[in-house]
Amino acid sequence: MTTHLDDELLAQWAMGEGGPDESGTAHLASCDRCTTTLAELQLMLGEMHDLPQLETPPAELWARITDELSLDPEDAEDAPVAPVTRLPEERRTAASRRFRGRTLAVAATVAALLGAGVGVGGTALLRDDEKAPPVEVAIKLDPLEGKAGAGTADLVQATSGGQLKVTASGLSANQGFYEVWMINTDGKRMVSLGVLNPSSGGTFQIPGQIIAQGYRIIDISLEPDDGNPEHSHDSIIRGTLPA
Amino acid sequence: MGFARVCAVTSREADTPTPAEIAKAFAEGRPDSLSDAYQRWSTMIFTLALRALGNRADAEDVTQQVFVSAWRGRANFDPDSGQLGAWLTGITRHRIADRLTARSRELRNSEAAAKLAEERPASVVDDRTVDRVVIADELARLGDPRRTILRLAFYEDLTHPQIAEQLDLPLGTVKSHIRRGLLHLRGQLKEVTGDDTSR
Repeated sequence: MTTHLDDELLAQWAMGEGGPDESGTAHLASCDRCTTTLAELQLMLGEMHDLPQLETPPAELWARITDELSLDPEDAEDAPVAPVTRLPEERRTAASRRFRGRTLAVAATVAALLGAGVGVGGTALLRDDEKAPPVEVAIKLDPLEGKAGAGTADLVQATSGGQLKVTASGLSANQGFYEVWMINTDGKRMVSLGVLNPSSGGTFQIPGQIIAQGYRIIDISLEPDDGNPEHSHDSIIRGTLPA
Repeated sequence: MGFARVCAVTSREADTPTPAEIAKAFAEGRPDSLSDAYQRWSTMIFTLALRALGNRADAEDVTQQVFVSAWRGRANFDPDSGQLGAWLTGITRHRIADRLTARSRELRNSEAAAKLAEERPASVVDDRTVDRVVIADELARLGDPRRTILRLAFYEDLTHPQIAEQLDLPLGTVKSHIRRGLLHLRGQLKEVTGDDTSR
């Protein structure tokens, strides 16, 4: 029985990194499966250098659909905010309504948190008439209990929409990576903005109108590189954008 | 443990239905499944319609038609023989094609535009457009750091060493995420478009 070539090796070759050695070439010559995989990866890579930016339909489209189908307005009211698919975590928002039972407890913990003023830095309104887009709000990110580090988050309005400029200091992990999240003040939902380089910081696109929807807590977590896209529950620094 | 633990909120508990679960509920006609399907696929469908039609109002109409006709025609969907995403993609292709046909008909009715109409492309959706939208949608669903790494590689065209430097991650980690990410995307692409008989 033939042992197939490792898929990751095929992916590497498809990207033009190295190529099959003698035995690899011999295997490819006689194996449809591996030849097909390699060809499909090459084809897909060819298409990946012109990927479209995803576009979210306007919020009222869901209401138009439920109207036309005469579905229960209750359902329509509970409607999904059209997902911002740049964020895998966004999908959880629809599910959150199924967990009303938990909501109170969670809301209480978040209320306690906000009451404690964790992470609410001084806010300043900065106006900048330079070419750089104006900073609307700048907040500090403060360490959570038992954690060390500091940071800033600047909300910027660029032509492409809201952006969050994040800097950090005193973050140094040997393992894993830092991830920027926006957590809803309802304590039920969060979205991931991406990976943060703790030494150089980063600028992140804020999807849609999520600040208005209550995603105002800016949270930096330390994440193990374990393939689990969920928040690790290991938050390091945090701040809250003013309402 | 204090705050670090409690405020990670319910992301883990609020488990999202998988596409297979949505498909099953959809076939059973459970109304919740339509909003789940909308949540999961509306961005992909709207982006596809927008790319094909180049007009937001038309893309909104097509997206609306896709979900309305999918819900009304849900008896025709068999969750055992195919994926709901692929089925919705097929409907989207048809609705876009209908819209393109209607447009060229309107164009032909205008005498001055008759010649132009002759030159217009056929009323079909380019397979590559579908592939690219599906890939973009699936890429956006990857967990980090893989998603950020692939975004930098394919949207920003950074080299692997540049990505490693920008994210402060080992080069080997970056390469491994890209290889595995590509394999995952290929699998997803095949599921959505591989057995789409309409192409």
